Amino acid sequence: MEALGLLFEGFAHAFTPLNLLFVMIGCLLGTAVGVLPGLGSSMAVALLLPMTFALDPTAAFIMFAGVYFGGLFGDSTMAILMNTPGQASAIASTFEGHKMARAGRAPQALATAAIGAFIGGMVSCILVVFLAPALADFSANFGPAEFFALALFAFVATSSVVADSVLKGLASLVLGLGIATVGIDSVSGTERFSFGVPQLFDGISLVTVTVAVLALGEVFHIASRIRRDPAARAMRPAGRPFLSRAEFREALPAWLRGTGIGLPFGVVPVGGADVPTFIAYGTERSLDRRRKDPQFGKGAIRGLAAPEAAGNATTGTAMGALLALGLPVSATAAIMLAAFQQYGLQPGPLLFERAPELVWGLLASFFLAMIVLLILNLPFAPLWAKLLLIPRPYLYGGIAVFCGLGVYATSSSTFDLFMLLTIGLLGFVMRRYKVPLAPLLIGMVLGPLAETSLRDALLSSGGDYGVFVAGPIPVVIYVLLAIALAISIAGRIRARARQDV
Amino acid sequence: MNPNSTHAPARTAGGEGHDGHPGARGAAGSWWHGRSGLVVPLILAGFSTYLLVGILTMRVPEGTDPPGPAFFPALIAIAGYVISVLLAVSYLRSPEPAHPATYAEHEDVSDEERRAAEEAARVPYRTFSDWRCVAWAAGGFFAFAALLTVLGWILAAALLFWCVARGMGSTRPLMDLTVALTVSSIVYLAFAVALGLNLPSGILGGGF
Repeated sequence: MEALGLLFEGFAHAFTPLNLLFVMIGCLLGTAVGVLPGLGSSMAVALLLPMTFALDPTAAFIMFAGVYFGGLFGDSTMAILMNTPGQASAIASTFEGHKMARAGRAPQALATAAIGAFIGGMVSCILVVFLAPALADFSANFGPAEFFALALFAFVATSSVVADSVLKGLASLVLGLGIATVGIDSVSGTERFSFGVPQLFDGISLVTVTVAVLALGEVFHIASRIRRDPAARAMRPAGRPFLSRAEFREALPAWLRGTGIGLPFGVVPVGGADVPTFIAYGTERSLDRRRKDPQFGKGAIRGLAAPEAAGNATTGTAMGALLALGLPVSATAAIMLAAFQQYGLQPGPLLFERAPELVWGLLASFFLAMIVLLILNLPFAPLWAKLLLIPRPYLYGGIAVFCGLGVYATSSSTFDLFMLLTIGLLGFVMRRYKVPLAPLLIGMVLGPLAETSLRDALLSSGGDYGVFVAGPIPVVIYVLLAIALAISIAGRIRARARQDV
Repeated sequence: MNPNSTHAPARTAGGEGHDGHPGARGAAGSWWHGRSGLVVPLILAGFSTYLLVGILTMRVPEGTDPPGPAFFPALIAIAGYVISVLLAVSYLRSPEPAHPATYAEHEDVSDEERRAAEEAARVPYRTFSDWRCVAWAAGGFFAFAALLTVLGWILAAALLFWCVARGMGSTRPLMDLTVALTVSSIVYLAFAVALGLNLPSGILGGGF
């Protein structure tokens, strides 16, 4: 119970009026940036990083906590309302969340997301407080073979289990993996697929691809049908502002399952919170298929609740991993690591001994940020939903402008804008022919990890492929993968048999 | 991922797909009806070729241990070719005609809206997508990207906004222009002036 005592000291530290104010400001700023289409929590932290250097370390990190979680909240708000997630971890929320919004249940969708994020975040913060040392031991066992198995698992799960057509899912995945290989190879320094174009040396940024495929592609897709079908135009923000008791009961198991899925991923560097959100979404979807009245595709509350909870659970444990191991598992965590180093602090096991008041103050401020955000977002949810009352032409005009802003702001290059347009058209074609978008983004995010771990493993084993099944962890992952595939194939065969009858 | 995907008879054979809307589209009789999706394997094959050319022309530094930088992309390119062939075969054997969005039974809409959607779905068009609208949106973005540094953020972004609004069927050009300039100016003030992002001021430069 030593941890509890330390945490209470942390609360005492964080509970000064000034620090509370910083949490509030951080949450508001983070939400405001996260709400912008295409800008997510990593963008929020990056934009506001220079501002916090004017503060003392504790206040700065407390504000960071607010910005970080605020960015996540704002991001999923926009993902739900406009189908424009700012970063990969909010993508899974768009699938059912945006459908809920289009069916006139936007306020309920936002409340589901807010509560899910709260539950996931809270549980993970509690876990971090007690389990930080154990987490360190677990992930110390991970080598290239383990990472490769994890990446492969994520690829197969998203492209075949989640997608409707396996071929289309794989096509999307291949495009994503391919896009990720453009640029200078990190292992050998070889220039790849840039054909001498200097703007391609650093590769194609994930921000550009995400904004292009999800936001700009959507603008083109809407434009292609808006004058022809009224159904595509209709989006009715209406109805009750809050969840009914039945909806709450419906969402509760999904929140808890999502949290359970998200927790372990925080310590595993597989690109942040996006993998667990997709796995949580896929789990809910396959559970849903067994129900008498499947809800997925119509705006299923569980399809939103689970990824939201999973995303924040991962974010919470990821912060634990950053503090306890010095291991940044996402873009945002990497930026926070840079901030620690600015103050001359090195995250890792020693940080708990050297700067306990900072660590525990920061952990305490996570709890505060969660509560502040829940208080801020539940009443604001209907207000954000009012954004949908903007006339269509202006709404999509505005989204297009923000797409341009988000990409130009991160790169300051016109080249990236043309890239955005090209990939946006690709996103349009994919939507038109019902090719799923998620595998492309997953391939893009995890492709580099898969490649480096594949090559590292083969390099260290001298070309012996047996290295991939040498340890117990990869074997377990491959067995799980085989089981998931078998279930999915069996489900497909059953569905086809039913269709033929 | 599309609201219709669960309802569309994706695997029905031959011309059955458009039975609900006889003569739904002008191109219904042509061989291409339901097969325009062949563009997807085409894009994939094109991208695989791009990777292949890149692999063949790649200059790998001497002394790089295998597997080198071409190993992983080569796997992707092979997978890309295989999948594009399989996808093309699947489109040739079972076309997937697109369906205009109508309301499914469970959706809570008035009869009037439902009827309007179904009537709209029966109007014949030569192509499923309204290419004129897409051209407005995509062209607007192209102009924005090309002119941004010359015109500056405020004018270029307003142009983009105006073009997209027009593509989305807005019929009030002057009103659109006012809204467009307001939006782009607010963004400029909030992000360039207040947050210090680097947005070009262009020919309006010096004013801020």
